Amino acid sequence: MAGRGRGIRRSAVAAATLFAGTSAALAHAGDRGFVLLLPTGYYIIGGALAVAVSFAVLALLPASALARAAGWRGRLTGPLPDSRTIVSLASFAVVCCLLYAGFAGSRDPLSNPLPLVFWTVWWIGLTLAVGLFGNLWRWLDPWYGPWRLVSGMLPRGAPLALPAPLGWWPAVALFLGFAWFELVDLAPEDPQRLATVLGLYWLANFAGMLLFGHAEWTRRVECFSVFFGLVSRLSPLGRGRDGSLDLALPGARAAGQEPLPLSATFFLLLALAAVSFDGLSRTFVWLSLLGINPLEFPGRSAVLAPNTAGLIAAFAALAGVFFACVWLGCRLAGMGGDLVRAAGLFVWSLLPIALAYHFAHYLTALVINGQYGLAAISDPLSRGWNLFGTAGYHVLAGATAGHESAWVIWNLQAAAIVAGHVLGVAIAHVQALRLTGEERRAAVAEFPLAALMVGYTVLGLWLLSTPTGY
Amino acid sequence: MTSKNGILLPQKSKITRRDTLKGLGVVAAGLAAGPGFVRYAQAQSSAPIKIGFQAHRTGIGAAYGRWYERTTAAAAKAINDAGGINGRQIEIVTEDDGTDPKRGAEVVEKFANQHKVDVVYGTLFSHVVVGSAPAAGELKMPYYVVSEGYHVASGKMNRYCFQPGITDVRAQTRAVGPFIANNVGKKVTMLYPDYAFGFDHRDYFPANFEANGGKVVGMVPIPPTETSFTRYFPQIPADTDVIYHVMVGPAVLTFVKELGEFYGSGGPKLFGFIDSLEAVDITSPGLEFLDGSYFWEGMPRYLQPDASDAVKAYRTAVGINENGAAVGDPKDVSTAAHMFGCWETLYVIKQAMEAAGYQGPQDRAKLVEATEALTDFPEGPEHPQGAKTFNGKIHQVFGSQYISQLKNGKLNVVHKTSIEDGMYEPEADYTTQPL
Repeated sequence: MAGRGRGIRRSAVAAATLFAGTSAALAHAGDRGFVLLLPTGYYIIGGALAVAVSFAVLALLPASALARAAGWRGRLTGPLPDSRTIVSLASFAVVCCLLYAGFAGSRDPLSNPLPLVFWTVWWIGLTLAVGLFGNLWRWLDPWYGPWRLVSGMLPRGAPLALPAPLGWWPAVALFLGFAWFELVDLAPEDPQRLATVLGLYWLANFAGMLLFGHAEWTRRVECFSVFFGLVSRLSPLGRGRDGSLDLALPGARAAGQEPLPLSATFFLLLALAAVSFDGLSRTFVWLSLLGINPLEFPGRSAVLAPNTAGLIAAFAALAGVFFACVWLGCRLAGMGGDLVRAAGLFVWSLLPIALAYHFAHYLTALVINGQYGLAAISDPLSRGWNLFGTAGYHVLAGATAGHESAWVIWNLQAAAIVAGHVLGVAIAHVQALRLTGEERRAAVAEFPLAALMVGYTVLGLWLLSTPTGY
Repeated sequence: MTSKNGILLPQKSKITRRDTLKGLGVVAAGLAAGPGFVRYAQAQSSAPIKIGFQAHRTGIGAAYGRWYERTTAAAAKAINDAGGINGRQIEIVTEDDGTDPKRGAEVVEKFANQHKVDVVYGTLFSHVVVGSAPAAGELKMPYYVVSEGYHVASGKMNRYCFQPGITDVRAQTRAVGPFIANNVGKKVTMLYPDYAFGFDHRDYFPANFEANGGKVVGMVPIPPTETSFTRYFPQIPADTDVIYHVMVGPAVLTFVKELGEFYGSGGPKLFGFIDSLEAVDITSPGLEFLDGSYFWEGMPRYLQPDASDAVKAYRTAVGINENGAAVGDPKDVSTAAHMFGCWETLYVIKQAMEAAGYQGPQDRAKLVEATEALTDFPEGPEHPQGAKTFNGKIHQVFGSQYISQLKNGKLNVVHKTSIEDGMYEPEADYTTQPL
């Protein structure tokens, strides 16, 4: 049967190619059509200017004052009770239910709660929530509770230690795998396929935690713990030394961070490159480059190889440009020094850009698929249940449709992109002072990176306004 | 449910997947209840008929997929409320094909081997149909598409592939020719995207139009990657009476805006295919230049003053208001010109299954023959778009087309073509292929 199946698929693709001439594609005007009518060119110029001017203003201001502001903390509460185990066990239970729904529920990715909760609520929504409210993932992590229970029954702690030279590279590799699954794989939203992948991912990481300890494993291997840990540094809310909740200026925690090791620098570069490539891969420009008519995008199966290469190329290109800017900045500032340390400090400034683009890029998906998710959780197995009273919810797809919505969404996107870059410039400014130890040289050292940010503002706004094939 | 006057009267304005499932929940409960399960397993006569819905839930077709899904759910509910097919309820099993031909073929296989559906249905995008049809043929799975492509009628698919609920683009372009020649203008210049979709219009429109005294005076192919169009407009001959435009994609709105800027308040009359602006609010800023222009519509988006009870019942069941947008969500404009095909196709499947006395997968060959034997679908609750003629040799349905004029922010039907206007000489005969 398997052989026959492959034969059918081969003949299907061959037939699709052969008869492509009879096609009647229905690429529709869609929401991007309305964006094309907006004066996006002015926004791009304005956004670039805003970021450039921010840099100029910051260069004139003493960076030490900015650093002092970044160091400010307002204590909000006393030490919080540690209920991580309970919350994590509850989270684990939810994960189990969702995985079961993935296998046993509807085959429709817009009716099954697993793809909707995983891709929309968790990946899009939780990332934003962590950026705004702190590291919620530390509590929701579905491994911690089970790990506490199981490891508590074992005679001693973690039997093995992660070799130090591995650094954060395992997390880089896993995140690259995740990005590939999201952006290139044929059916990442297929409930059963997703349930299989996530189930295996949970098991493999659980085994790793039992062998190497939860703390080390989540610090350097499990890529979402790493990702959320980094993103949470942007949040005004955070954990003080004694476990209390404290307040800081947005991005201030990132500005106060020690340099990241080289592997972690690459992790952050990968996170930004992945979301940027997701935008790029849909554009007319990219599809034309692949020789594909953007009005009849043939589906993911036709772009597996080029998009795999594109994802890696985007990562390599961003890393190349970033390191070149850091190197040039050090040279201009007359610093020989340690390029890895400089990159590890400056890379924090890319964090708000990654989060801003995450928001802008996924905004419409969040609004629409979030509604599908609301309906799906009430009837997770498609049995006519109505657990939360939302099963019959009619998805308001008009929320992102039409001229007015396009205008609102575009302005939210543009504001986020520009704000993210301005925050990036500010973080870079503080980190430059830490690197150089001197005001004037800090501005000089930061200059090439600021230029990169102006360029990335243009790229980000262009990706959100250029015609896309799907 | 059928009322006294034979009109389908849905109970709710908005049908969701859940409504369909609720009914099925009863069936499922029966299935799980031990004795009932044994009975179904033995005779299968009361188990639901499973219809595999190959849906574009993700990928380039997702916007259309949403309305195809809503229409499918509404039709399934209407059929089930009226007693189902051959006394059995129908169950819609949805699989996402990602609007991808390779996944399309996989989905057909999955339907056959994993879900064990009775038929597969609902595909819209041509490349997915073309990619999936060989799998359906090989697995001997009746495959009812709602695609409007000419590929089914062309003879390039196979005995198991049908398009009984929507006319194909060749018939559509032929059918509008006489009206344009007699009512809009004799000299037409065609502006079309320079690939297969545009070629269908380029190749199939002129014959019937010129047979009715018209003349195509200009052809302006526009590269599909183009996003600014002004430099193409000087190619439009000065003596053009009518611009026939079929641009699609995100740059359509820019196209209309630039055309308006080029001609100002004058210029030739316009005739377009609503495909360009399907699911787009026709009163959007930038589209003002279209006021007064004509459009082909598969089925009217706006509720017409003379709409039949069947049309009203259909619109209520699917959940669209008088402007063709979702009830309660006026910005969510439907794909009204195409989605009726889902409704009508499900009723054709019903009719064919009843004619074949369909009991289960062993009767699939009988179902194919019964579908091929269908000839006429009268206008009514099951075929609200209009009466249709089915050609069993080429597995393609023929029907009327609507021509509407945009006035005061609404598309008003000014002409309904005859079925014959769209008919062409068949070029294939699937019935000679072995089952």
